[in-house]
Amino acid sequence: MKTKKTGKPVFFIVAILIFALTYLAFFGLDNYYGDNRIVYTKGASDIRWGIDISGGVEAVFSPDKEVSSISDEDMAAAKEIIETRLVNNNITDSEVYTDKANKQVIVRFPWQAGESEFDPAAAVQELGETALLTFCEGTTQDKVILQGAQDIERASAGIDENGQYIVQLELTQAGTSKFAEATARLQKQTISIWMDDTMISAPTVNEVITGGTASITGMADAEEANDLANKINAGSLPFALTVDDSKLQIISPTLGSNALNIMVIAGAIAFGIICILMILKYRLPGVVASISLLGQVAGSVACISGFFPNIPSFTLTIPGIAGIILSIGMGVDANIISAERIKEEFAKGRTIDGAISAGYQNSFTSVLDGNVTVVIVSLVLMGAFGTPDSLIAKIFSPVMSLFSSSITGSIYSFGYTLLIGVIFNFIMGVTASRLMLKSISRFKVFRKPWLYGGAKHAE
Amino acid sequence: MQNKKQFNFVKHFKIASIVYGAILVVGVILTIIFGVELDINFKGGTRFTYSYTGEIDVAEAQGVIEDVLKQSVTVSESSSISGDEKNLVVSLVADSSVSAAAQEEITAALKEKYPDQAVALLDSNSVSATVAGGFFAKSIFAVVLASLLVILYVGIRFRKIGGVSAGVTALVALVFDIITAFFSCVVFRLQIDTNFMAVVLTILGYSLNDTIVIYDRIRENKRLYPALSTEELVNTSVNQVKARTINTAVMTFLAVATVVVVSEFFGLTTLRSFAIPMAVGIVSGCYSTLCLSAPLWVRWRNYSDPRKKAKAAKA
Repeated sequence: MKTKKTGKPVFFIVAILIFALTYLAFFGLDNYYGDNRIVYTKGASDIRWGIDISGGVEAVFSPDKEVSSISDEDMAAAKEIIETRLVNNNITDSEVYTDKANKQVIVRFPWQAGESEFDPAAAVQELGETALLTFCEGTTQDKVILQGAQDIERASAGIDENGQYIVQLELTQAGTSKFAEATARLQKQTISIWMDDTMISAPTVNEVITGGTASITGMADAEEANDLANKINAGSLPFALTVDDSKLQIISPTLGSNALNIMVIAGAIAFGIICILMILKYRLPGVVASISLLGQVAGSVACISGFFPNIPSFTLTIPGIAGIILSIGMGVDANIISAERIKEEFAKGRTIDGAISAGYQNSFTSVLDGNVTVVIVSLVLMGAFGTPDSLIAKIFSPVMSLFSSSITGSIYSFGYTLLIGVIFNFIMGVTASRLMLKSISRFKVFRKPWLYGGAKHAE
Repeated sequence: MQNKKQFNFVKHFKIASIVYGAILVVGVILTIIFGVELDINFKGGTRFTYSYTGEIDVAEAQGVIEDVLKQSVTVSESSSISGDEKNLVVSLVADSSVSAAAQEEITAALKEKYPDQAVALLDSNSVSATVAGGFFAKSIFAVVLASLLVILYVGIRFRKIGGVSAGVTALVALVFDIITAFFSCVVFRLQIDTNFMAVVLTILGYSLNDTIVIYDRIRENKRLYPALSTEELVNTSVNQVKARTINTAVMTFLAVATVVVVSEFFGLTTLRSFAIPMAVGIVSGCYSTLCLSAPLWVRWRNYSDPRKKAKAAKA
């Protein structure tokens, strides 16, 4: 077998890249100008931890209107919409209780990471908004044309031909005919678009719109457009909820105030033990495996903290940590399978280069199949328990729509951390490990079969 | 290929299945005796908020309340935004008839234990389960859907060795592991909460991966040594991957055990409901892969292949 040899410097390049990623993922890159912290890339300290780990806010919502007119179904709908709003904000850890007797909704959610000036009152106020989108004649809310979910199918953020950020709306059948009728009747007049009591746009009608679409212009940036689209998609509450500020509570972490520190210590010790065992058992492949595992952990952390600008930060809870642990286990396993295979190849009498090549080649299918099955599981979980308008949820919506929508952020976060962990396992445990081992094996000092699990006195 | 040093997993399937049966029976009996504790997120219940002054140790307060009520409760600490008022939130699984009595008992117990802290009942909410009833149906459905997709994938990737049988026997091992983890919750009196769902899913991942590694080896050996009987083929393969399976299990088990030991050392007991079933599941996964799924697969293959069946009957 004649394959292209991996260059000697490759080991150092890969290892340095991994160490750099690890450093940045854990510590981030920031700078202090006086008291202002400027964050260039986010580190592990920017992770938003679950209530159990870092504590959070508890708010009791009460309806504005007469409680007797509110049915249990309304309460259930309110709970679901609040949960959707939380998950839309990547707050995947929350407890939403309903008290049917007092018609109250109790919401507990974690602190925003690293925000010292976090204003719980403002954050909570947003959750209680009705978020009812209406299209009205003229600039008052007297004559409603379109309203809420009965007329608006879904919203998405986009960019129009002028490069402006907009929110595009798809109308329902009923909405389409109402809108066509209204735009025909109100030529050259104003239609105003309202979010609850705030007018967000007041365009003039220039043409009859029969296609069942409408757009809201005047968004400041992509984030504002996204937020509005999410809000519309989450649906409107059947009634407005207000928070009694006196009942707004700050929850201490249920796991205890130093839970996070303890878990970090426990995790570091566990990781150290795994590395030591792997090095003792598999020698050089064990060293390489330890480095690539570090890279895998760093990659997972980076995808949770919001290190990559296009991957939003994520609330990390115990189930999320379970997902990381499983993916690390898979990573350890991938490295062990390869190391065992290399050992076997030595037993068959192969040379160092032959054994390493054959070892990785033979182990690949089992690592691939094991990981793909886990990916299948994680995708199903994200589809079943994520927000209904995420891409994965749409794929599974034909079957999942049979069930009442239950968004369970914790299970979703398990699927998410597992998925990214497995992806990094392919990058690190499969590719990076192989590159590093092939490269390091070219150094003369390391050309001893013993270092790879072969016999001590061979060659 | 068969040599003396190899352990005959296929032959010892009978013993392995007796062990499995015994665990199952004991587990079911224990479940009936102890019952299963679901936490408030699943069942709904009552939340009492108490205000107090000074210092109260949350874990201690929880112990006091549990002693009085003879049931597990969750106690968390909170404070008002201004920070000058401190509260204890006591959550327990209870229907409304129980909660009125419970409220008095808790209040009395807290006042007695903390006479100087001015404990006063602030609020009481009877709450419905945060996890809707549809959650279980959906969870089960999601797991079934994921299983079918996995069987489909395994069926295609392992068609050379009869993929569907491989997929189904992998699931048998998986079900065993999840049941074992569940029993560990019963034995250690741990509440079933959403963390347990995460544990189940983690075990699901480990168990599937474990089994697939073995089938991968069977697939490879089938190609290399087409003449081997199913039994020899499986024994050879299981023995070849034995080192890997045990090493991986030992390392992951030690990692989880470390987390338990360190957190217990610092008094962080709440991780138990997560770490104990996980550790049990890892051990069980190692056992079920080596001793259950692959030998079971041999039986299936021999049964579905009339020629081999005749041969087996003769022997």
